[in-house]
Amino acid sequence: MRIRVEYEVKSELRFLSNLDMMNVIQRALRRGNIPYALSEGFNPHIRLSMGTVLPVGLWGQREYFDLELAAPMSIEDFVSKMNVVLPPAIKINQASKIEQSTPALMKVINATAYVFVINSDNFDVSAWRDQVLNQDILTVKSRGKKKGIDKDLKKGIYKIELINNELETKIILWVSSGEPVNIRYDELLDMMQQTGLDSSLVIDVYRQGNYIKVGERFYSPLEKVKVFE
Amino acid sequence: MKDKLYRDILPRVSKPARYAGNELNIIKKEWETSRTKMVFAFPDVYEIGMSHIGGRILYGLINEKTDHIMERSYAPWPDMEAIMREENVPLYSLESFRPLADFDIVGFSLQYELSITNILNMLDLSGIPLKSEQRGEDDPLIVAGGPVAFNPEPFADFIDVFFIGDGEEVLPEFLDAYYNHRHLNRQECLLKLAAIEGIYIPQLYGVEYLPDNTIKSRQPLYTEVPSVVRKRVVADLDKAYYPDKPILPYMEIIHDRAVLEVMRGCQRGCRFCHAGMVYRPTRERSMDTLTEQARNQLLHTGYEEISLASLSTLDYSAVDQLVKGLVAEHGPRGIGVALPSLRVDAFSIELANEVQKVRKTTLTLAPEAGSQRLRDVINKNVDTEQLLAAVEAAFKSGWMALKLYFMIGLPTETREDLDGILTLLDEVKRVGNQYSRRPVEIRASMACFVPKPHTPFQWQPQNSIAELEEKIAWMKKSKRKHIKLSFHDSQTSYLEGVIARGDRRLGKVILTAWQKGARFDGWSEYFSFERWMQAFNECQVEPDFYVTRPRSYSEIMPWDFIDIGVTKEFLIEENELAMAVVLSPDCRQVGCTGCGVCTSLEVDLDIRGGDNFAHQS
Repeated sequence: MRIRVEYEVKSELRFLSNLDMMNVIQRALRRGNIPYALSEGFNPHIRLSMGTVLPVGLWGQREYFDLELAAPMSIEDFVSKMNVVLPPAIKINQASKIEQSTPALMKVINATAYVFVINSDNFDVSAWRDQVLNQDILTVKSRGKKKGIDKDLKKGIYKIELINNELETKIILWVSSGEPVNIRYDELLDMMQQTGLDSSLVIDVYRQGNYIKVGERFYSPLEKVKVFE
Repeated sequence: MKDKLYRDILPRVSKPARYAGNELNIIKKEWETSRTKMVFAFPDVYEIGMSHIGGRILYGLINEKTDHIMERSYAPWPDMEAIMREENVPLYSLESFRPLADFDIVGFSLQYELSITNILNMLDLSGIPLKSEQRGEDDPLIVAGGPVAFNPEPFADFIDVFFIGDGEEVLPEFLDAYYNHRHLNRQECLLKLAAIEGIYIPQLYGVEYLPDNTIKSRQPLYTEVPSVVRKRVVADLDKAYYPDKPILPYMEIIHDRAVLEVMRGCQRGCRFCHAGMVYRPTRERSMDTLTEQARNQLLHTGYEEISLASLSTLDYSAVDQLVKGLVAEHGPRGIGVALPSLRVDAFSIELANEVQKVRKTTLTLAPEAGSQRLRDVINKNVDTEQLLAAVEAAFKSGWMALKLYFMIGLPTETREDLDGILTLLDEVKRVGNQYSRRPVEIRASMACFVPKPHTPFQWQPQNSIAELEEKIAWMKKSKRKHIKLSFHDSQTSYLEGVIARGDRRLGKVILTAWQKGARFDGWSEYFSFERWMQAFNECQVEPDFYVTRPRSYSEIMPWDFIDIGVTKEFLIEENELAMAVVLSPDCRQVGCTGCGVCTSLEVDLDIRGGDNFAHQS
């Protein structure tokens, strides 16, 4: 039985690396006595596969992993057992059974939404958004594999949403992940700096979610893959 | 404090999880209603400190079983230190994020001689005066324990109180006493605490020296202070506290697994071995207790591996049943068992084969010396035949690489002994190649021998840097295919040697070296020998006095007043037997060999059954 799980990582655990996060989940699976499946071979490991890497320093509202179970277990039971043993700063939001043939998370996630919380006392975010949307190219130095190479982010910025009220100002950047261009959150910070939004105005950054973009629509990795029992 | 850390500081440092706290199984006690407040400070980086079993034991014991508090703090890595200094952030505890100066007691673990500069640095980052004599009524008491505290004298300027021996035995009593005497002034309080067995308070003693710089006498300065400090020892390890819910770190630490302490002490009697002398007698835990502890730790941590720790785990009397029982119970869930130290014999290899979850990559054995003669000098009870049998068993069952540990600079060592190491490596390679289709990899790591206090070799001179370098050059002269030699740094070993057998006069050198920037001296990227030599020079202390000088049996050693239970007569006899190339047996096999520990400490060798000894030579 294969399941897909959506979880939240709160601010307190924003400094974990991807490997650390995998360890946290695997150890919770063991503590919770979940009937996880093991791989064959000399050094058996839990058949767990993580979604896209949550960057060190960011917290995330909707992160994902897939897990293979060796014995059937109800989804409600899984979620409640895991939420007892997980650290308080990690919570499973929902999970569902998926087909064995469902493509891996890493293969299908192609879009991400990052939220930048902004101190807008002396900054006009609407004007900034218009200015960014009007540019034909937005070039930054790549921070990823090809470090230092010029990289145009424009074709990977799908939409820019603003939340701007008396309580808070947030910029939500819906961007490409993988193809056509892999956009990192620190490259977005560089782009903001270049377009006049100084990094000292950024109070917090987190990932709102990971998505499967089809045409103009963004689906969560749990939509469309659910198997109804 | 915590907000500032998370927002402004941690995003700027490498491995921020080191400083973030909030791990699973952390214990946060109510500050106001708790009695004595102590912080356990480990003078190295988080991932090393968190791997230390003694700290896990004390943390659980004090927080779960007493009304006192114990929180934790580790040495910040230099990038974090720089930001802390720049932003005026004091060193803080990972539980309540309070500055160390707010605690009643700051306790350091002394696992390694060169970590003393990190202790000074941590005190400085806490705004606590570095020297005992500078501390006032409002400053915490600075205490220290651990293996290096068996010669506390080089650190006497900086540490107010030393704990000698098993910490879980003395610490609860000490914290109770501190609480009861908290209304007294610092000096009166220290005098009361000095009466507790296993407690040593350097400022209550005076030392006089002879013209040749050796010690003339040492005396307590007050009549109520004991002249000899006897180590504390847990008599019944099976009943002693052991944590079922160790803290589960978020980042990977050095020993990232559930750990069982199967026994404490070792009586094999290797003559160079400090731990083998100071942690006598051998005390085992029962199979039932260990099985239960494994179950509980796994339940509360979810670890994927259980490690069986001790000075010589394959000597645990029921190791075979224990290991097989653990594998049978937890193996089906993908949980493995690790044997961190293997004995040099075929039985050990066969047992390791059965349990090793990881791929058979590298196996590690420690013959320590290259020739039979020298192995007999150090009382390492292994002969070439046994070693080759172990090697054969390893390669036969599919191991592809072997790592062997040796020491150079041992007493009586000659070039023949060094050549013996190389010949042995050739022989090992030859055996390996009989069983393997591709050439096997042999790696040999050579440590420089440092004579340690309380061992039979405490009177022996240590090789000078020049002698060691000459030996290293000799061994490197002919390259061998598929055999890789690596050598410990002779300069670091020299400095370890100075401090290991040092006295109070080293205090000013240590302080000067720290002022010149010494810290993380155990890390080659931060160690500067030149800096230390300048410090010796400025303080007019001759380091060779402590390292390369032979000592006579009549000399008063700086640590002579520490009673580990093993008698000086026994150590002298063992040193003499070494010079005569005569082996001494293991008291578990032949009966009492008269080291003195059981009679003087009123404890016993505690072997919990099992017939493991049938397997031994």
